[in-house]
Amino acid sequence: MAGIGFELRKLLRSQSYLGLLRAYSYASIISSGPWVFSILGLIVTGLLSLGVVVPNLLITQFQVTVTYLIMSSLVLSGGLQLGFTRWVADALYAKRRDEVAPAFLGVLLLSTAVAGALGWMAALFLFPRESNLYRVLLAGGLPLLCDIWIVTVFLSGLKQYRAILALYAGGYGLSVLQSYLLRGWGLEGLLAGFLGGQFLMWTAMMWLVLRNFPPTRPITLDCFKRGAMFPSLLAGGTLYNLGVWADKLVFWYTPQTSSVVIGPLRASTIYDLPVFLAYLCVIPGMGVFLVKFETDFVEWYDKFYTAVRAGGALQDIARFHDHMQDTVREGIYQIIKVQAITLLALYTFVGPLFHAIGISDLYIPLFLVQAVAASFQVLLLAVLNVFFYLDRRREVVFITALLTALNLGFSRVSIALGAEWFGYGFAVALLITLITGLMLVQRLFRRLEYQTFMLQGS
Amino acid sequence: MNADSAVAQPSIDVMLLLEGTYPYVSGGVSSWVHQIINGFPELRFHLCFLGSRREDYGEARYKLPANVVGLTEHYLFSEEVLPKARGRQGDRATAELVRKLHTQLREPGDDADAGRAARARVLEQSLQAMEGRLDLQYFLHSRQSWSYLTEQYLERCTDPSFVDYFWTVRTMHTPIWTLAALARSLPPARIYHTISTGYAGYLGAVLARITGRPLVLSEHGIYTKERRIDLFSAQWISDNMPVLERNAGEAGYFRALWIRLFESLGRMCYDAADPVIALYEANRLRQLADGAEPATTCLVANGINVPPFAATRSQRPAQPPAVMCLIGRVVPIKDVKTFIRAVRVASGRMPGLEGWIAGPEDEHPDYARECHELADSLELGDRLKFLGFQKLVELLPKVGVVVLSSISEALPLVLLEGYAAGVPAVTTDVGSCKQLIDGLGPEDEALGSAGAVVGIADAQGLGEACTALLSDPAAYARAQAAAIARVERYYTQPIMFAKYRAVYEDALARSDQASATAAPARGAVATALREGRIPQAAKAAGADDVGHTAATAGRLAPADTRATSPGMGNHPQVTGSG
Repeated sequence: MAGIGFELRKLLRSQSYLGLLRAYSYASIISSGPWVFSILGLIVTGLLSLGVVVPNLLITQFQVTVTYLIMSSLVLSGGLQLGFTRWVADALYAKRRDEVAPAFLGVLLLSTAVAGALGWMAALFLFPRESNLYRVLLAGGLPLLCDIWIVTVFLSGLKQYRAILALYAGGYGLSVLQSYLLRGWGLEGLLAGFLGGQFLMWTAMMWLVLRNFPPTRPITLDCFKRGAMFPSLLAGGTLYNLGVWADKLVFWYTPQTSSVVIGPLRASTIYDLPVFLAYLCVIPGMGVFLVKFETDFVEWYDKFYTAVRAGGALQDIARFHDHMQDTVREGIYQIIKVQAITLLALYTFVGPLFHAIGISDLYIPLFLVQAVAASFQVLLLAVLNVFFYLDRRREVVFITALLTALNLGFSRVSIALGAEWFGYGFAVALLITLITGLMLVQRLFRRLEYQTFMLQGS
Repeated sequence: MNADSAVAQPSIDVMLLLEGTYPYVSGGVSSWVHQIINGFPELRFHLCFLGSRREDYGEARYKLPANVVGLTEHYLFSEEVLPKARGRQGDRATAELVRKLHTQLREPGDDADAGRAARARVLEQSLQAMEGRLDLQYFLHSRQSWSYLTEQYLERCTDPSFVDYFWTVRTMHTPIWTLAALARSLPPARIYHTISTGYAGYLGAVLARITGRPLVLSEHGIYTKERRIDLFSAQWISDNMPVLERNAGEAGYFRALWIRLFESLGRMCYDAADPVIALYEANRLRQLADGAEPATTCLVANGINVPPFAATRSQRPAQPPAVMCLIGRVVPIKDVKTFIRAVRVASGRMPGLEGWIAGPEDEHPDYARECHELADSLELGDRLKFLGFQKLVELLPKVGVVVLSSISEALPLVLLEGYAAGVPAVTTDVGSCKQLIDGLGPEDEALGSAGAVVGIADAQGLGEACTALLSDPAAYARAQAAAIARVERYYTQPIMFAKYRAVYEDALARSDQASATAAPARGAVATALREGRIPQAAKAAGADDVGHTAATAGRLAPADTRATSPGMGNHPQVTGSG
């Protein structure tokens, strides 16, 4: 993702606080845009439908359905997102550019087929009491969202951040608008409007991809052959998404914290709203993450590997190693700093803020815990990013598996401990995973040269 | 031969250790190996071929004789032999041992035995350690190994590129383990015979150490010297010093590292081998300089098949033809240009003299073209002829003097073939040429000079020497007589086989007695050969004075028939020797 670094560096070069602010704001918007849009989109659609779609349960049903679609599509496609992005990077590095488009279409074909089949079976067997239109939308929505995530990751691999941002703004705008227009048809109307907007967004994304990679060869499933994609990346991608959603799933499927919303889908009224709102608090952290890891880190990373490959002196290699390590440490500190300030500000102003948007004070404690947890998640993302860059896939699998296990376990414990502990399960799971990850990063840096040279091909 | 009594003996008599040569590469050394195997049909040979990577070689270039009972191939730089990368710590004691072994290898050793005992201990300890904790996995993947490597890089490496250092060290050391493992997996043999030092020589040293069987070394070129030339001109070794810091004539660090490795391996082989055989005296002296023990060194020259050439003597005109002839490929190493200039000098002094160049021109077309242009610019016209490839038995009777203007030669067979046909020679002072012209040792020298030796690139001297010889019938006749006497006394195939027979019989006898009686002193057979005796052959032929003292070819009848084996069939033609 070195491309964004160039633009950021241009902004940073202005040497003024305003320039710095612009760079970080730009980075924040770039990095958090897509999911901010999706959260806001859902909330806005709900607000716009109030009073028109009756009963209000229908709005909740719409929001929960979409949340489940997002969750299950992320878990389903998480492995492919990582595995295929890496495959594309390798193919481009090896100058096999013409193989990308056929493989890309092959990946989409397979993900559509698998997610479509799963969606269709879910709609058929799990929602016998819902309307056929709802079930059709459900069966179509799952593969659509899977494909969107894959295309998104593909585009970000091509450094098309601005295009992604614009597409998500446009796509979610369209989704909100269409849902607003179709709200007269109730749940199905909202869902159809939302998915319609998403479909148009996906179409535009596909157009962008295929313009960059005009397919000149027939579609192929070659990248599913043994050895083409790294199984560790497939596992890591799946586990990461599973790990991040595990606490939500626990809360949704524990009877005392949840209620049925539609078919087998359950939601947790206490848990869900603060959790999703909390994710909005990490926008500054994400900005720092992007600036630090996409400019400074990548710069030293490139120098390090250039020195390794192109015959640098060991002393130079060690120097670049130190710089790389420094930027990781600095990046982590800066994320901690900026998130700490954000959290302090939130802590101070959360009461008036919640009053202003009309959310009950009861949510405040859980919201604050979740905001801390989300900040940990940004840090964890930074740690994972280091492992991705240094190609330590085994560590990625270990960390994401640890996150999944801890999040499942601690969330259940937090429920057993009572309402005042809600949210701590997720936070503690992330904290432990984060510390483990940091220790692994430290260990990795201690033996980076040894590993790079002596354990090649391991 | 003791084959009958060898009930508990290995079924292989001689294990030949062949690095980058027979049977997959053709050339002078390979022809010689083929000749030796065919020359001893009663011995069972096993070939151990060492190559770089399998894909570097094609099909076998020789049909293996029936007495080759096995062939083991080993590829030094193939990935297959390497263990899978697995990180591990590696223990401190092993790290200390590695440090100690390296220090010992670097030290010259005490003067008493030129460090031989110390080197033997290093080899012994290394072999033991490699069986235990100091395995290839330790060297390739352990943290201790890594920290030693980086420490050595910081301390010694004068080339900035760490990645090149890393791969150089790794590549050059890995065969030390894989060959030690190979040595343990090879079938047992009574004696080991390596045709070079280098990796094959190291394998021989390891085999001699672990089996206690004799090792014979025959060096045709000097491995260490040839590698030095290779390494100086090698493109694949990067040299990363900035141009301004580079010293002309100074090998880059990695080249120096390779050279030191080959010198070390060479010394190990010289220590283990008995006898250490060179083709000619200059090479023997090089071996001594490289650390061979004087008592173990000796000469066994290549022998030619004399009769076909001797038969052509009757076709020679009474007066020597006024023809100076360079026989060899038209390539820079033969320095054909100096020959052409010498023809200009000679033909100026002796009207009617012609210069001939007999050899293919296709190997180095640019150089051949330059030679033609040079001849034109000197306006030699008909006085210089490019003959191309010629059959020597037809060519030699028409030649007055064979000329070699080479800047490098080993033991050029064309000189000997010319001698056998009664043609004296004028050569540059390279390789064994001086030994072939003037003789080696008092008896040989007493035969007289078979021509003249001049300096490298000395066209004037070369031309004058040729005219001096061709214009003085008495001197010419003396040179001719010396030439014939020298080739028949020292450089025939039967003599070469008799000497190798002695070498093999001595080694086989030592192998069989290894545990029984006290081992004979090192260098016994080599000393005998150096002093002009062929020890074991005395038993059979009743003459202990063959070879460099009195023998004529005819007296070594038992080996004679085999000596004219098919392997020699290409020699009466223009050979690419050197």
